[in-house]
Amino acid sequence: MNFDWVTFSFQLVNVLVLLAILRHFLFRPVADIIAQRQAETDAALRAAETAKADADAAAQKALAEADATVAARQEVLGRARKDAEAQRDALLDKAHAEAARIVAEGRATDKRNASDSRAQTLARARDLAAVIAERALTAQPQDFNGYLSQLVAALQKMPPAELSALLNGGDLKLISAAPLSENDLSMVKSALSAFDIAPELSTAPELIAGLELQSDSGAIRNSLAHDLEQITEAMRDDQAD
Amino acid sequence: MGSSPFNAETAFMLGPLAITWPVVVTWGIMTALMTTSILMTRHLTLKPGRAQAVLELIVNTLDGEIRATVPGDPARFRPLVGTLLIFILVANWSSLLPGIEPPTAHLETDAALAFIVFLSSIFWGIRSQGIGGWLGSFVRPSWLMLPLNLIGQVTRHFSLMIRLFGNVMSGVFVISIVLSLAGLLVPIPLMALEMLTGAVQAYIFATLALVFVGSAVSEADAENKMQQKERTHD
Repeated sequence: MNFDWVTFSFQLVNVLVLLAILRHFLFRPVADIIAQRQAETDAALRAAETAKADADAAAQKALAEADATVAARQEVLGRARKDAEAQRDALLDKAHAEAARIVAEGRATDKRNASDSRAQTLARARDLAAVIAERALTAQPQDFNGYLSQLVAALQKMPPAELSALLNGGDLKLISAAPLSENDLSMVKSALSAFDIAPELSTAPELIAGLELQSDSGAIRNSLAHDLEQITEAMRDDQAD
Repeated sequence: MGSSPFNAETAFMLGPLAITWPVVVTWGIMTALMTTSILMTRHLTLKPGRAQAVLELIVNTLDGEIRATVPGDPARFRPLVGTLLIFILVANWSSLLPGIEPPTAHLETDAALAFIVFLSSIFWGIRSQGIGGWLGSFVRPSWLMLPLNLIGQVTRHFSLMIRLFGNVMSGVFVISIVLSLAGLLVPIPLMALEMLTGAVQAYIFATLALVFVGSAVSEADAENKMQQKERTHD
């Protein structure tokens, strides 16, 4: 076995040349592209981190703006609530004032109506009183003799049975509004002589004017008070109808 | 090719120099590797295809191995370790081609490879420790270790050469003997085994080369750390 130094030298050079070739054409380009990709990856990561930081900052800003918006909303709501309460109070005050005014007007109207009604009632009463008085006074005789004539006429018109019952009833009284004078008494005795009775004389001022004959069995009403009662009842019946 | 398997036959004469077949095959391997490298790295992009992905996988794996053995930038040792690995692997597997004898089956080629590793370890030792520091590393931990360290410096590279030569040459021998005795298909399992052996030997050679070169750098780093500690304590 011989060691060939020429071959050794050639192989030494060959391997060194191959080392240079592979370094230049293989390892360096591949390492460069790996480093380039790594650099781009790092840059992308940095960009992503920057973008994340920007996004976080934007999120924080958005949160702050949202908080500010909420605060502004609360402020606006509070202001609106105060305005609404103020308007409500104003409206309530206005409504109260309006209601008070309406109530006052109602009361005034009621008072005025009551006054008018009272005045109307009084006027009507006055008119009524005037009518009653007119009717009553129109139907009354002018003097005592007239009343006596009407009493006699009423006795004459009565059916005999009723007349007999009246005249023969107990406690027969001749009632006048004022005490009778001598002249009046004589006129009474003269007018009643045809009926053959002697009634007891009595005075009742409430008759106002007139002359009435009463017994336990009946009565002949012949007075201003009686006419007034009849007119009043007639008018009450008219109103009831 | 020749009567003795240990002797490299002359392919042709270049003036007074006899160019042997291992040299010629090496040139062929160099040409193939250069052409392949140029073709594969011609259009590298940031979005790699399959071929580029394979290349990047090789380089990344290489860098990982280097980084695991020697701290620091793996680019310093990448061309040396990568070239040794690829060349030895391709040279070992070149025996698959009919009529081709792997250059690593000849002692001259293995000696050249081991010599390059030897020179590299010296270069990186001096570069990282300085000439004094590198020479001083032979007398550590004491002067008594100087002969052993000197012998060890030579023998470990010599063993590197012999290991590769013995494994590849024996495989070629065995396959040649079996092929001459048996038929055409009988040596195929042995050839497959030889492929595995060739790959393992390439990995062992490259790894040991990295360890030898890296040990010089690591010694320098360790020494620097010791000095820094001493300064800190002072």
